[in-house]
Amino acid sequence: MIEPSRELRDVCAIVGAGNSRLGRVPGVSSLDLLVEAMHNAIVDAGVKVTDIDGIICRGPDESYAHHQLMGARLGINARFSTTLDNGGASQILGVALATMAIKAGMASTVIIGFGRDSWSRTHSSKEANLRNETRPDSQLAHEFGPEYGFFGAVAAHAFGATRHMHLYGTTRDQFGAIAVAFREHALRNPDAQMKKPLTMAQYHEAAPVVEPFGLLDCSLRSDAAGAVIVTSRERARDLRQPPVPIKGFGSFNNLRGWFADDNMVTTAAKNSGESAYRMAGVGPADVGTAQIYDCFTYMVLTQLEDYGFCKKGEGGPFVASGALRMGGRLPTNTSGGQLSESHCEGMLQVVEGARQMRHTYPTERQVAGADIALVSGHGGNQVCHSTLILGRA
Amino acid sequence: MPDTAKKPAPRPSPESTPYWKAAREHRLEIQHCDACGQFWFPPSQNCPHCLASNFTWMPVSGRGKVFSFVTYHRVYHPAFAKEVPYVVALVELDEGPRLLTNIVGVPPQQVACDMPVQVTFDDYDEGVAVPKFRPLKAGT
Repeated sequence: MIEPSRELRDVCAIVGAGNSRLGRVPGVSSLDLLVEAMHNAIVDAGVKVTDIDGIICRGPDESYAHHQLMGARLGINARFSTTLDNGGASQILGVALATMAIKAGMASTVIIGFGRDSWSRTHSSKEANLRNETRPDSQLAHEFGPEYGFFGAVAAHAFGATRHMHLYGTTRDQFGAIAVAFREHALRNPDAQMKKPLTMAQYHEAAPVVEPFGLLDCSLRSDAAGAVIVTSRERARDLRQPPVPIKGFGSFNNLRGWFADDNMVTTAAKNSGESAYRMAGVGPADVGTAQIYDCFTYMVLTQLEDYGFCKKGEGGPFVASGALRMGGRLPTNTSGGQLSESHCEGMLQVVEGARQMRHTYPTERQVAGADIALVSGHGGNQVCHSTLILGRA
Repeated sequence: MPDTAKKPAPRPSPESTPYWKAAREHRLEIQHCDACGQFWFPPSQNCPHCLASNFTWMPVSGRGKVFSFVTYHRVYHPAFAKEVPYVVALVELDEGPRLLTNIVGVPPQQVACDMPVQVTFDDYDEGVAVPKFRPLKAGT
């Protein structure tokens, strides 16, 4: 294994974080949702928009050169700007790339963001609601899938859940413990899309979607955007917020496919996490809070194993022990996650990781004593993964 | 709704056309590398094991086992409204490659990981036949 560079550890910081209105935000485009989140991040950081000389962003899959559209809306040119293409792993990769660009002298202050009107586009008509698809037709498979009734992201992830249950005896009760814990967290977050408590009985009563997943194993359809601002630690000293140091990051991509090898039960989080831990000089025992890409309940369970918080196959008992709740061994997705806060392709996980590391939340939302936050990004058909490790401000 | 009640027929790529042509004649054929001797799927011009581009479309046993599977309850396409609950599985052929498919001829609750299966062909209209799998009969 190549050794991740320690020269990038603690050289940059997240100095601003923001989100748009979340959930159902009718009449606002993906681009304007992201402008809303970016504006909030800019105000939060106390920078001027003209201080920003880097943009790394992503939006709906059909947009071409999304960063150009965002630059035009922000009214700025940029020394460094691009759009990433790693699905839900893109957002952390954006933070990593920003750090590298700043270290290389290619930019000084970079804004990273994602926004999409997924609730609006899946509720625009009866047909759109049935298809439940946010990607354009040209990006969907036209053979080896639809002829078998294989549609949507739910099934591809449910395959892994079935296999994990077969190999390790994992149960739906254990998946349910994840959904219930994240809902508890969402209820403390006034911005969260889900406002009502969730019991284990309600989890089990929810309609089956693609077995073994029911409705409450699936993340939300959300109109949502999030953004963070990264700059060097020297520059960060003069800004409004306590700077949250970027200690390490990693990525790995199981390009052979979700269906290949053992990828559906051991995800790219394993290799991505090892890189990030080494860059940061920490291990799983040091992590005080985790913000895990929760497109589906099972994906949290398997990533927690891959990140070394428990052994492979022991994720079920680990999550059922209450570890993920506030006050547990590893409070996870403390803003409610994509299962209960809003699905923003992992961007809100980065936002929440940074906010936790500032230690400025009211007591009921703050993970007390957490010195390290681990954030994960996962996507592109379960192939791409990225990891971010943040330190206490 | 026009056309929506029909299951979507596969739209072959240039590389997969021979696969679907064989399937229409109820033969399961996949690419076999002349250079390294391994099978691969899905179809592509170069062998993903050694990148050689000389290959032969070769009939396979049609036997394998269920690597994993899911059961659809939600209807994403009107043509599948009458099919739910139906099983979509990833079948690992005895020859190695994995195919996405349906498991038929058995109730969904009796499908299991590692269950032995064999190919069967489902004739869709428009001269299209789709390889599916059913439990392997004992003694075959």
